[in-house]
Amino acid sequence: MIITIDGKQCEAQYGEYILDVARRNNIFIPTLCHSDALPGQGNCRLCIVEVLEGKRRRVVVSCSYPVKGEVEVLTNTEKIRKMRKNLIRLLAAAAPDSDFMRDLQREYGLEEEERFQVYRGEDCILCGLCVRACEEVGIYAISTVNRGITKKVSTPYAEPSAVCIGCGACARVCPTGSIKMKEENGRREIWGKTFALLPCPGCGKPFITREELAYVQAKTGLEPAEILCEKCRQKRAARKMRDVFKDVTMK
Amino acid sequence: MPAGSIEEGLSQAKEIIGKYPREQRFLLAALQDIQKHYNYLPREALALVQEHFSVPMSRLYSMATFYKALTLKPKGKYVIKVCDGTACHIRGSSLLVEELQRLLRIAPGETTTDGKFSLETVNCLGSCAIAPVMVINDQYYGRVTTAAVGKILEDLEAKE
Ligand code: SF4
Ligand code: FES
Repeated sequence: MIITIDGKQCEAQYGEYILDVARRNNIFIPTLCHSDALPGQGNCRLCIVEVLEGKRRRVVVSCSYPVKGEVEVLTNTEKIRKMRKNLIRLLAAAAPDSDFMRDLQREYGLEEEERFQVYRGEDCILCGLCVRACEEVGIYAISTVNRGITKKVSTPYAEPSAVCIGCGACARVCPTGSIKMKEENGRREIWGKTFALLPCPGCGKPFITREELAYVQAKTGLEPAEILCEKCRQKRAARKMRDVFKDVTMK
Repeated sequence: MPAGSIEEGLSQAKEIIGKYPREQRFLLAALQDIQKHYNYLPREALALVQEHFSVPMSRLYSMATFYKALTLKPKGKYVIKVCDGTACHIRGSSLLVEELQRLLRIAPGETTTDGKFSLETVNCLGSCAIAPVMVINDQYYGRVTTAAVGKILEDLEAKE
């Protein structure tokens, strides 16, 4: 079916999220808690848009609102900008030192926050991506604890986790950079636990914790020599491609 | 109901958990039973729950900190809940809380060092007609005054 986003005709599948259709058509909608790998969080509300359907007009969360009919979508109306502005103010108060929030504040012409209490030193906006990421890895080392204004992400008893493998997936998906991961002298520190990093069999650069290596091996059955760092993995893939096409000549 | 102690061993916890099928929907009920028996969720008991239901510890910890009925620290023998809902608030429940704080030297959410009393505020006990209301364990006290608070505590102490 065809939906219109900001006047542009876009091809969409039934059930597809509005955000995905917009992105595919190069229409920008700001998001914070969205990750292509872990979609449908719907926590930050930054991605709100207006949907016009017949006589009805309403505000929906585009990252988790499925297309069901030939609707018209407006991503940047005055109403949306106003609502988004308030959301940005609240989120920025929770994550004042995040570059991402600072850029948004600037873009929306917002000054330093005066009305809302600003929480310095912590940039977590409780989007939940890190918890989802850890679940996806299959480790379940972290979760949200407490509730209301004391809610936060933590390991059980706020102690170094017994099960964390130091893969860093949680820190990588964090949109505000609030999960601290330190790497120094072949060691990685995360959630209060220190891991020794093992060298990549390809280039020798330390890149994986012993625990993660064991976990990946157990899960995939790969030999340690086959588990490479990102760069070496890309190189290997490129080499394979070349070999495949080596004897193919264009006519 | 005398609170179980962790020293008596975990056989009680094992028994409580063992009554439940190994399905996640019984998790909360099992935790509530353990809370009831020990007056809190001992770490060792949580480890048993983790094993029985095959759930990650992070999930249990998340539940234990989310629900108000569950605690990770032992609660007092007498749990005093002062209602601070609208009706009780208007009728001076905050004065009751102040008085209790003064007498017990603890803030809401805390337990006295002798393990006798815990103080909590709750949001409505559904008994607004007799506001301000206070509940100690399962006993209701209505139209409580600051003067009555001292007397109630004394009576409980005398029962010991
Ligand atoms: S680093 Fe630890 S907590 Fe973070 S995703 Fe990996 S296993 Fe989970
Ligand atoms: S990106 Fe849609 S709610 Fe956060």
